[in-house]
Amino acid sequence: MLKSTIELARYGIPWLGPAMAFLGGLALLAEGKGQWPAIAVIFGSVLSAGGIYSLLRSLRKGEKERALLDVRMLQSHKLASLGELTAGIAHEINNPLAIIGREAEWLEHLLSTMPPAEGVPRKELLESVREVGVQVNRCREITQNLLSFARKMEPIFQKVDVNRLVEDMVKLVETETQGKGIEIVRDYQQPMEPIMTDPPGLRQVMLNLLNNARQAIEGRGQITIRTRALEDGRVQIAVEDTGCGIPREHLPRIFDPFFTTKAHGKGTGLGLSICHGIVDRLGGRIWVRSEPGLGSTFVVELPATPKRAS
Amino acid sequence: MDLVRILVVDDEEDFLETLVNRLNRRGMSAQGALSGREALKMMEEKEFDVVVLDVRMPGMDGLEVLREVKNRWPFVEVILLTGHGSVESGIEGMRLGAFDYVMKPADLEVLIEKIQQARERKILRES
Repeated sequence: MLKSTIELARYGIPWLGPAMAFLGGLALLAEGKGQWPAIAVIFGSVLSAGGIYSLLRSLRKGEKERALLDVRMLQSHKLASLGELTAGIAHEINNPLAIIGREAEWLEHLLSTMPPAEGVPRKELLESVREVGVQVNRCREITQNLLSFARKMEPIFQKVDVNRLVEDMVKLVETETQGKGIEIVRDYQQPMEPIMTDPPGLRQVMLNLLNNARQAIEGRGQITIRTRALEDGRVQIAVEDTGCGIPREHLPRIFDPFFTTKAHGKGTGLGLSICHGIVDRLGGRIWVRSEPGLGSTFVVELPATPKRAS
Repeated sequence: MDLVRILVVDDEEDFLETLVNRLNRRGMSAQGALSGREALKMMEEKEFDVVVLDVRMPGMDGLEVLREVKNRWPFVEVILLTGHGSVESGIEGMRLGAFDYVMKPADLEVLIEKIQQARERKILRES
């Protein structure tokens, strides 16, 4: 509600002045005060009509955007639960499928060992039972594919040297920043105990954060990458940039799926929400500190070992 | 433990041959393919653990091959070879499920270590 009030004020204020001029002019005109009030009336009415028009347009546009965002949010929630749903269904179907397959085999065996009898179309029965087996196998392939799709999203925990993994990703991004006025500063804690985490998942998170940092900097700037081990074994990785920063009102939505402030076609608005999802699955946290105009710092915190058994 | 079965995919014949030979000499079972299509055909006939894949290839490029591999053999791990690193294709590759990337010219020790981690991941996932 507060937000729409602010919005109303933002779009309302520019035409409040002309509207006052219009009303004031009208009042003076009624008293018969000559040509200046008349000019004020004309001038004010034109400006305020324009203001009202732009207010209506922006309100409609805002509504449309909100509706779009709702749909997209729903979509991404759907995607996230799709994996679980798929795995569940595939599991449930696999058991009866196995029984059907076994029974069909048994029927086939019975039929083929049965002595031929008058009036029993044995050949057709056999063919029919075999077809059941073939189709059961087809279903089994489908459920296996579904299961592997769901499993693809599950993290696999391996021993990881965080500094090395981070440095690998930094090097990749550095090939793009070289000679473009962006300095990369490494501040890795050495030595650091390896942690148990999902290496490709963490790589994806790092690449996304580094790439965002690079894109946040216009012209010259600096990206600092820090790694720290906390006393309890947790590890923090921070990516700090001296870029444009994130406006305060965007901060609560920065990890939402499809939220983007990048130019059209430059970002899908999925990067940070994917990072959030991955870090979540790794049992960690991700957060951001940002000062508009000064830069942003994204921090990823990971446990030394995942809490739940993998 | 069985030998790691590796498929190296690169359109540069000399590079491919050298790398396959060196991996085989290091006690791995490596084979080479000169194109994405050849690689996919080989994978239909034989099981591999790890695919080492050049990103820039004429015809079917590395990311396309990666997509196809991950679709059809989700447990096979893929390590990308990037000519001169490109962030966009790196991110895209990771998003499509690549295990890691190695910048060319690939350091053999680094590559072997990554191959072993990728193999370990495949075993962990299948168990």
